[in-house]
Amino acid sequence: MPESSRKLNQSNALLRVEGVTKSFGRLRALSDVSFSVRRGEILGLIGPNGAGKTTLFECLAGVLPADGGALSSVERQVNPSERSSLLFYMPDGIAPWPSQSVRWALDFTVGFFGGSAELREEVIHSLDLLSLLNSPIGTLSKGQRKRALLAIALLTPQPVLLADEPFDGLDLRQTRDVAQVLRKHAAAGRTLFLSIHQIADAARICDRFVLLSGGRVCGEGTIEELSASAGGKTSGLEEVFLALT
Amino acid sequence: MRSPKPKPAWLWLVEKEWRELLVSRAWWVLLIAIGPLVGVSFISAVRTYAEVSGLGGTAAGVGEALSPLVGVWAPTFSACELAAVFLLPFVGIRLVGGDRQSGALKLEAQHQMPAVARVAAKALVLLAGWVVALIAPIVAVSLWKIYGGNLYAPELVSVAIGHLLNAGLTIALAATAASMTEHPSTAAIVTLSVTVGTWIISFVAAVQGGIWERMANYTPTAMVAEFQHGLLRLDMMLIALTLIAGGLALSAAWMRIGVAVRRRVGESLALGALAVLVAAACSRVNTTWDLSENRMNSFSEADEQALRKIQAHLRIEAHLAPEDPRRADLERQALSKLRRVMPDVQVEYASATSIGLFEQTSPHYGEVWYDLGGKKEMSRITTAEGVLETIYSLSGIPPPAENDESVFRGHPLAVRPKGAAILFYGIWPAFVMIAVILIRRSVA
Repeated sequence: MPESSRKLNQSNALLRVEGVTKSFGRLRALSDVSFSVRRGEILGLIGPNGAGKTTLFECLAGVLPADGGALSSVERQVNPSERSSLLFYMPDGIAPWPSQSVRWALDFTVGFFGGSAELREEVIHSLDLLSLLNSPIGTLSKGQRKRALLAIALLTPQPVLLADEPFDGLDLRQTRDVAQVLRKHAAAGRTLFLSIHQIADAARICDRFVLLSGGRVCGEGTIEELSASAGGKTSGLEEVFLALT
Repeated sequence: MRSPKPKPAWLWLVEKEWRELLVSRAWWVLLIAIGPLVGVSFISAVRTYAEVSGLGGTAAGVGEALSPLVGVWAPTFSACELAAVFLLPFVGIRLVGGDRQSGALKLEAQHQMPAVARVAAKALVLLAGWVVALIAPIVAVSLWKIYGGNLYAPELVSVAIGHLLNAGLTIALAATAASMTEHPSTAAIVTLSVTVGTWIISFVAAVQGGIWERMANYTPTAMVAEFQHGLLRLDMMLIALTLIAGGLALSAAWMRIGVAVRRRVGESLALGALAVLVAAACSRVNTTWDLSENRMNSFSEADEQALRKIQAHLRIEAHLAPEDPRRADLERQALSKLRRVMPDVQVEYASATSIGLFEQTSPHYGEVWYDLGGKKEMSRITTAEGVLETIYSLSGIPPPAENDESVFRGHPLAVRPKGAAILFYGIWPAFVMIAVILIRRSVA
């Protein structure tokens, strides 16, 4: 990456992740993971199964203790108690408050997390949740639950949203619709950091990418920047990914 | 579409926990079961009370023994103890461990609210759930009143405080177990293991005496027994509150899933040590209140006035084995009452065996030695009257004259428990079942 671009990147960076490491016993899940998150972008965290994507998100959100590393904003280092006001993490495969209705979960998100009441209706309509509002979360199908979780995530007030596998369980049309919704929120100023293992989905929505493999960052940048890092002979994200990991 | 009413985040959490309780099967099972449990205890107690009072025969002639506290309330409320040991832990584990299972913990943990506040919301709702369950014994109290039975409010207050503290201990234990373990079934095993552990302490105390006996005084079973006899002990209440606070703090420490396990272990050890220190300090408090109508935990007022005049240090050495029934008599009938009037009394037990059966031939076995300011006397009597006689003799203070007016005459009541069976075995479960359907439907 050229020096000028790097300086620009640094000035536009909202968050800087530096040297995050995490081990489970002898297994090293994350090794010295470092990258930047820019204001208002959709950053894709891509990597194969077991690359450490979920572990990285959980360490960043503070729901899993990291062994080392730091998260800093433009001005200063972010301590653990400040993370809750800066970023919100929506895990994959959970069914929170399974006996409660979707309507109640959205109300709870607005009330408990201080989410946006104005966005509530728009999120409900854009994610096609109107017919599911009275259904208990535990009774929803995988795709329906994913949309409900995304609605909860989008209603939270933090400027950075970390979503683990936001398209998992969605069909093609829903994936396209959800991608549009996410783009709209990013355009409104929210920074999205999405963990996606389907590279085609990631290529469709993300502005930049962090490639993670075996707990290490193998590349960071736009497709063009990554392609250049890979020697410039590849153009698609899939090929770049294969070349760099 | 209406927007949610604004309110503080903690109230949102309390509302959420309450809704989770309302849809919890474990709580509804507790509610359904506690009716028949209280019913069977109450009906059996009222029948026995009626027979002793002369129903279907002649009165046993022991009117002064007929105290509703011992005859009716202790057995009736013992159903609550059973529910607190075997049912309430599962309600607590469901409410605390459910968030971990569903993934809600990962969301709620991202709120800046301290984990202690989150645990406090759960504990408050669980306590409220227990108070709802206490409607069953309240129905029993109402029936007793309808039958024409005597109610002495301070006795009921004592019993209720005992069962609330016992429930608090169970809730704190269940919350700790659910926070520290990954799966609710593991939490259930841990909780029941601790409960069985306290029973083992009581069993060992009965055999070994000594330090075990002192520890057994503070088990939930022993605590409830004291309250069921109308004795409010400040040391016991403070220790129970310390353990409840310690358990909830421990639960909060383990709810911080983003904190390294090593740090959580260190904090838990520090918390445990602090709780033990505070509990040890609380055990030195001697303030007690006898709330029983018949003063079953106290000597007569005249005796207490006379005993308070004794300034010299009293030391009692009883050569009785832990399992010897005379030792239990001496402790229950005399020494526990004596400690309440003379906090400085020093009691020591000496024995070579635990059952005492094979010590009977030992020359000093069965002797109770009294040392009051250097004056010594030996007696083998273990009744309250015998102990008082020896102490008066040593102190030179004349025993007070007996006052027949202050003697408790009892409250005989020879009635059958009419309507109780249909109420507790039929109406209660049906009512709870209807409530289950209506409330679960409205919440979901």
